[in-house]
Formats: sequence, structure tokens, C-alpha cells
Amino acid sequence: MIQVLFVVLFGAVAIWFAYKVFTTASMMRSALALLFSMTAVGAMFLALQAEFLGVLQIMMMASEMVVMALFMIMYMMNPGGLAAMEMTHQKRLSIAVAVVAGLLAVGAALFGGWPLATEAVAAPAGQTRELGLEIMERSMLVFETAGVTILVAMIATTALAIRRPA
Amino acid sequence: MSVLVVSLIVAAVLFAIGLYGALSQTNLVMIMMGVELMLAGAMLNVVAFWRYLHPEAYSGQMFVLVLMTVMALEMAVGFGVATARFRSRGSVEMEEAVELRG
Amino acid sequence: MTLVAYLLLVFVGAYVVAVVEEWSTSGRLRPTAPLLHGLALLARESLTPRRHDRNLFEAGPTLLLVAAVLALVALPLAPGLLPVELATGALWLNAALVYVAVALLMAGWGPDGAYAMVGGFRFVGQFIGYAMLIVMPVTAVAMRAESLATIAVVESQAPLWNVLAQPLGFVLFLVAAMAVCFLPPFDQPVAAAELAGGVFGEYTGVRLVVVRLGRLVLVLTLALSVTVLFLGGWLGPWLPPAVWSLLKTLAVVLVMLSVGRYLPRLRTDWALEWGWKLGIPLALVNILWVGVVLLVGPA
Repeated sequence: MIQVLFVVLFGAVAIWFAYKVFTTASMMRSALALLFSMTAVGAMFLALQAEFLGVLQIMMMASEMVVMALFMIMYMMNPGGLAAMEMTHQKRLSIAVAVVAGLLAVGAALFGGWPLATEAVAAPAGQTRELGLEIMERSMLVFETAGVTILVAMIATTALAIRRPA
Repeated sequence: MSVLVVSLIVAAVLFAIGLYGALSQTNLVMIMMGVELMLAGAMLNVVAFWRYLHPEAYSGQMFVLVLMTVMALEMAVGFGVATARFRSRGSVEMEEAVELRG
Repeated sequence: MTLVAYLLLVFVGAYVVAVVEEWSTSGRLRPTAPLLHGLALLARESLTPRRHDRNLFEAGPTLLLVAAVLALVALPLAPGLLPVELATGALWLNAALVYVAVALLMAGWGPDGAYAMVGGFRFVGQFIGYAMLIVMPVTAVAMRAESLATIAVVESQAPLWNVLAQPLGFVLFLVAAMAVCFLPPFDQPVAAAELAGGVFGEYTGVRLVVVRLGRLVLVLTLALSVTVLFLGGWLGPWLPPAVWSLLKTLAVVLVMLSVGRYLPRLRTDWALEWGWKLGIPLALVNILWVGVVLLVGPA
């Protein structure tokens, strides 16, 4: 019961901040709103008893969004949002597409007929251990691929962003 | 309603808001924010499925780790593109990027 | 009840840090000075900047205090004295410390003033420099403990404290810890001489009390985390465990507050350069060293 309460509460917080991301005029506020939306999603992970993932989400997203805030201020024409300006296009189409996609996903959630599992979840320490074994044994190749992808992205990003002599 | 359905609905709403943002914003950084929200919705789905359908399969949790990697990569590459674009054109407004149309 | 006692203990700890801080700058030991300053600040008018962003302005200092306390509750004073027992305590510590940067960013942007904003962004730059140096030494410590729980981390140090088992990690973490709580020489964001108070320059009265308290608790948190992760926590002969923890924490606070006084302020670009080109390779060497010792060393 208390779990439902927490999931609903953090879910509402996540949705509220996600809504604020695209409705506020100030860039800093919208970056911070995204940050708190992600933090609320991390708190939902905690409420869903995935402790390691929840704490990881709370940590990673906060650092990502702090960096994002920095870049937004660097590259925005009007970061403070002191003068009202239009930064959207094809608004009607976007709303229509988003509503249709959202309704489809909600419908799938409501009428999916999920076969709920009955077994209990392992304790947090056991979960972290099992996750580590999964990474290092069965899914090692997947994890290695993720690592190599990170390396490739690092090199590509540096090559993109480096200042070339004119 | 079970917790699973509640989580899935929250994830669906996050995805819809992210989709709206990615389609409607004209600024590259704001578009990336929309993509991040969509990915967050996907991650929430995976965690909820892991918890209520297959709590014994830890590949579900690992998949969330891979998704987090994807999010970080999307940010890094996106900022690389933004930096390159800002250097050459002085703006990251995507309305002005019509020459990419090919 | 225990929670109230714990918060009281945190408050007393922050007070001691304040006394030590004044002693390290002025050389005078005045146990009542922080109390008098605090009371004076409470009575003073609390001014607000003209066009501040109200939410960010008010939430910044509060988030600083909350982040420091959240990091603190995952650290044990003694076997039974751990407010929140998490299986992922070491990771939780990292997660809570990231929100210090968020708090400073908010406090810097909120007042809509040039000095505060520059201070906030300087701290974000510094954060990018030190973030990895917090995470990687903690990873090495968790490797040795074979657990992320802080209790297990302390217990793993019974044969040999981590400060001797992985001295490189200890030095890196101590330096990064000083950068987290923007102590000199990492006090770019609040630099009194060039930014007129920096991030917190626009805060007065009650809000300034929250800011100061948040920073003191942050120093206390980082000192306790150095103690728990590297100095063997409560381990020690004769005295009761909690006393050992407190004594070690006090020693770390002394070191953290006094060392930087003899160094010039570190420029942001140098902090970034040294953090990434020197610090991260050293942290990787440390992880490799710990891994090799774990593999070939005595079981």
C-alpha cells in the first residue's frame, strides 16, 4: 500500500517537472526542472525496490543535467528568459502526435493483461551482487559493447568539438 | 490498479511529454531534453517490468544500465554537435539548419 | 527520538567545525564566536535582490544543507550508530554530493547578479574537475571491501587501514573533498577578494545562516567520509568506537581547513586540467593497484 503511495507521489512529481521543462521561459529553470524530473524517476526506482539503479539514476542524472545547464547557458540566445520569445515550431502537430503516442502507450499499459510474477524481490545487497554477476558472466559481451561504444563516442565528440585551425 | 500499471502510465506520460518536446522545440539543446525524457520513460518501463514480471532476471537491470549509457552518449554527442555548430554558425537554432536537408 | 539526538549531534559537530575554522584563519580560539555571529545574523534584516528568481534563490541554500545531511546519514559513527543502513551506502554518498553542485548552481543563478552567477559557473567548472576524483577512489575502497555498504567498508580495514593500503586514493579523495566544500585553495566560487562573496554574496540574515550551516555540515560530512573510507572509521584501541570516529573526523577537519591557507587560489582551468590529465590517470592507477593486490595478495 505504502509502495503504491510512493510510486504515485514520485510519478506525479516526475510528470509535473517534465511538464515544466517545456513551459517555463528561463533556460536554467527548464534544465533544473529536467534534473528534478529525473531525480523523481530515480526515487520511483527506489520505490520499485531497485536500490542500486535508483541511486545510480539519482547520481548520474544530476551530474548530466548540471553539465547540460552549463551548455544551455553557453548556446542560448536568451538564457534568462527575460523577454518572451517563441522557441517552438509545428506546435499543433507535435501536440497531436504526443497525445496519440501517449494514449497508445497508456492503452497498452491498461489492457496489456500482464502476468504478474509472484516471487519476492531479493534484498538490495543480493541484487547488486546478482547484477554484478550478470554483467561479468552472461551479459559480458553486451556490457563490453557498451564500453566500446562510450569510447567511440568520446573520440567522435572530441573530433567534432575540437577547434581546428582555419 | 497495480503498481505496474501506475508506473507504466507515468512512463507513458513522460514519453509523450518528451516526444512533444523533441518535435516542437527549435533549439538543439531543448530537443535533447525531449529525447532524455523519452529515454527516462523507457527506463521506467524496464524497471517496472523487471520488478513485476521477472524479478529473477537480472538482465532487465543490466538493460537499464545500457540505457543510462545511451543517455550519456546522446548528451555527449549532442553537445559535440552543438559546439561544432555554434563555432561555425554562431547559433544552435535548428530552424536555421536547413542546409542539412540534403 | 534517536533522530533528534542525531541531528543535535550534527549541529554540535557543525559548531565545532565553525570554531576550528575561525581558529585556522585568525589563530584565535573563541568558542562562543559562532553562536554570537549566528544570533547577530538572525536578528539582521534579510535583504532580497531586486529581480531574483524566487524559487531558485530560496531553494539553493536549503538544497546545500539537505544534500550535506543526506550524505551524512549514510556514514556510520560506530557499529550501531548508522542512521540509514543502505546496501549501496558508498554510491549514495556520491549521489548526495552531486547535489552540492546543483545547489550552488541554483544559488548562483537565483539572485540575478553578475558576481553570484560567475561564482556558480566557476563551481560547475570545478565540479567537472573533481567529480571523477570522488567516484574513483570510492570505487577502489568498495573493491577492497567487496561491498558498497559503509559498515562493510570500515570492517574491511581491520587488518590495514585504507590510507596505507591505497595511499594514492587517499590523497586524491582528500583533495577532491576539499574541492567539494570549496575550501581554499579551491574557493573560486566564493572568492572574497575578487567576487565580493561570489555565489552567496547576495544572501543576508536568516538565509545566510542556512548557507553557513550548510557549508559547515558539508565540511563535517566530507571529513567523516574520509574517516570512514580511508582512516578505518571507528577502529582503534582502548577508547569506545564512536570516540575514535569523532577524534579522527576532528583531525581531518583540522587538516582540510588549515592546509589550503598556505596555497594560492587555484584557477578554474588549472583545476580542470590537473583534475583530468593528472588526477584521473592516477585514480585509474590506484584502481589497478587495488585490483592487483586483491588478486595476488593474502586472502
